Amino acid sequence: MAGTETRPTDTTRGTAQSTAPTILEVENLWVEYKTPNGWMQAVRGADLTIRKGEAVALIGESGSGKSTLGFALLRMLVRSARISKGSIRYTTGKGETLDLLSLSDKQFRSIRWKEIAMTFQAAQNSLNPVMKVKDTFMETARAHGMRNGGEVRDRTLDLFRKVQLDPERVYNAYPHELSGGMRQRVSIALSLLLQPELIILDEPTTALDILTQRAIIDVIRNLREELDFTMIFISHDLSLAAELADRVATMYAGEVVEYGPVRDVFYRPKHPYSVGLMNAVPPIAGEEFTPLTAIPGSTPNLLNVPSGCPFHPRCPFATEICVTERPLLEEVAPAHLAACHHHDRVDKDPTRWEGIEDVVEATG
Amino acid sequence: MAEPIMQLEHLTRRFKTRKGVIKAADDVSLTLNRGDILCLVGESGSGKTTVARMAGGLLKPSEGRVIFEGKDLAEMNKEEFAEYRKAVQIIHQDPYASLNPVHTIGDTLRAPLLYHKIASNKRDATRRAGELLELVDLRPVENFIDKYPHQLSGGQRQRVSIARAMALNPRVIIADESVSMVDVSIRVSLLNTMLKLRNELGVTFLFITHDLAVVKYFAWEGRIGVMYVGKLIEYGRTPKLIGRPMHPYTRALAAAIPEADPDLTRSKSKLQLRSLDIPNLNELPDGCVFHPRCPYWVKGECDTIVPPLVDVGDGREVACHVVVRNIEEGGDGLRLTVTDEPALSGVAD
Repeated sequence: MAGTETRPTDTTRGTAQSTAPTILEVENLWVEYKTPNGWMQAVRGADLTIRKGEAVALIGESGSGKSTLGFALLRMLVRSARISKGSIRYTTGKGETLDLLSLSDKQFRSIRWKEIAMTFQAAQNSLNPVMKVKDTFMETARAHGMRNGGEVRDRTLDLFRKVQLDPERVYNAYPHELSGGMRQRVSIALSLLLQPELIILDEPTTALDILTQRAIIDVIRNLREELDFTMIFISHDLSLAAELADRVATMYAGEVVEYGPVRDVFYRPKHPYSVGLMNAVPPIAGEEFTPLTAIPGSTPNLLNVPSGCPFHPRCPFATEICVTERPLLEEVAPAHLAACHHHDRVDKDPTRWEGIEDVVEATG
Repeated sequence: MAEPIMQLEHLTRRFKTRKGVIKAADDVSLTLNRGDILCLVGESGSGKTTVARMAGGLLKPSEGRVIFEGKDLAEMNKEEFAEYRKAVQIIHQDPYASLNPVHTIGDTLRAPLLYHKIASNKRDATRRAGELLELVDLRPVENFIDKYPHQLSGGQRQRVSIARAMALNPRVIIADESVSMVDVSIRVSLLNTMLKLRNELGVTFLFITHDLAVVKYFAWEGRIGVMYVGKLIEYGRTPKLIGRPMHPYTRALAAAIPEADPDLTRSKSKLQLRSLDIPNLNELPDGCVFHPRCPYWVKGECDTIVPPLVDVGDGREVACHVVVRNIEEGGDGLRLTVTDEPALSGVAD
């Protein structure tokens, strides 16, 4: 987000033809948490390349590692977590490429919020309850070297208008005086305060009512058209990806297992887990009944991930090789990556999922 | 033949708050037939949970009655009420909070069996607990019966909650947002398990959710009641109500929901509301509670006269002056004239 002028939309955005430069490159990233039962690997060799100006959805269920990956990008992991392997390269607005994991904490502070910003899940809890909204904005700005109070105020009010908030009312309010949807929009405005190049939104619509969700979706879409930033949003909700993403990355057991242009991933999925997720999400429009299929079994215990492909115990396409060899994320169609030995056999036929024994494993 | 098992008659519930008395539910009437699925849909503050709690006997109505198998809940004697408590079971939203963490799954399931003397001794109770786990698809039973709740996933815990509800052979299950906290891949199989209880054992369901997609799947053969700030505003059979919503609020909801299909969701026509503000229960608008947000409202009518729930045929009931008049004048209740463009922008919800 270099300026506030409207830029022409890049029509190749999110397609195989896109020539936009890379802004972020995550390679073979491993993140683990210390638990009483040993190191639990939450992110297991994730790869992700993001082009400037694109909106990428990180989709997965609980335990897929999507939020951990998001926090790792900002080096905001909890104390019990460590990045054990891999690299994250980021290209700044000025075109300088940095290895984010080798920066000192002090150097990283110049990246966080100014270059990469984040809004957190449950925005209702992420604003300081004893501070007025305006003070939160002032303090954030000051902490990052913006000292002109009038400028911060003008910029904040402008952002509030952009996220469809009544500027004066919200500016002087305490968080508890605002609804959940309003607080979520305040958080989005806060993440944009320092004009970052990349923003990460963690579950931006979760736990909000439907009409409020719609308002947030529309706000995010309009902001992108106006401000042209790069966006990663983390969500368990496939429909949010369908709405907002240029590209979709599906995560399972700490890996990116599929990554491609949004229409390709939805209409020609190459990983069985993506197919399983789609077969489980009911469409609402229309008067026809759509039978839905569950994915058999449950998500793996990250202390004891299945051998080979971590999805193999739940997969209707699995063969012997899936038990022994871990598939690598590779290009299987133009700009479409998948980590599946059988990507060329994958289809959306829900009947394939019948008859797999629904092994519900106890985790402990 | 449809035989009513539970009737909710003109249920109203008021709560005292610091800012005055609010009506969380206002004159809600619904009938549950034996073996039916009835879903109550609405956003937060719509009163759906308040109605469910009154139906489940957890909350006394301020006005109105709950009739179970012909008897008024308020007039039941001790034995009758105890029988009702067994016959009507509630499954809560949060599978993490609703199971006692220091009891094993077996203990949790055995307790009601022994207390209500459904099992004669511990061995019998254990056998029955095993059957319950099988019923909710937690197999093999040995993997679960001696586990503690923390050793299970959210979906598995919710299955245990269902098994516990089934321990007393209930005739009605009230499920309050029972699948909203579990992952999508697990959600469908939980819904399937509950559908099995209905189809094979004839259990009647009152299902509360904010999620129209879940409703469409779960209540396809049932009915939906849509609630908005305490009122029932539309009621009907699921396929028609979802496919052709009539009340402007239901339309707005259906239009606002994102779909997991990029082309479909990006081309869905949206209904522009006049305001994003959900009215405060302390100061509800006069007339139709939805009129300040409704693009079809008629001045002088919608802002003064409360629309009653009117039967418009085909089992559908709608509380909207504009829709009802459209149908009376030979329309289909679907093509309405926008009377008022969105007046407000830049205003909060």
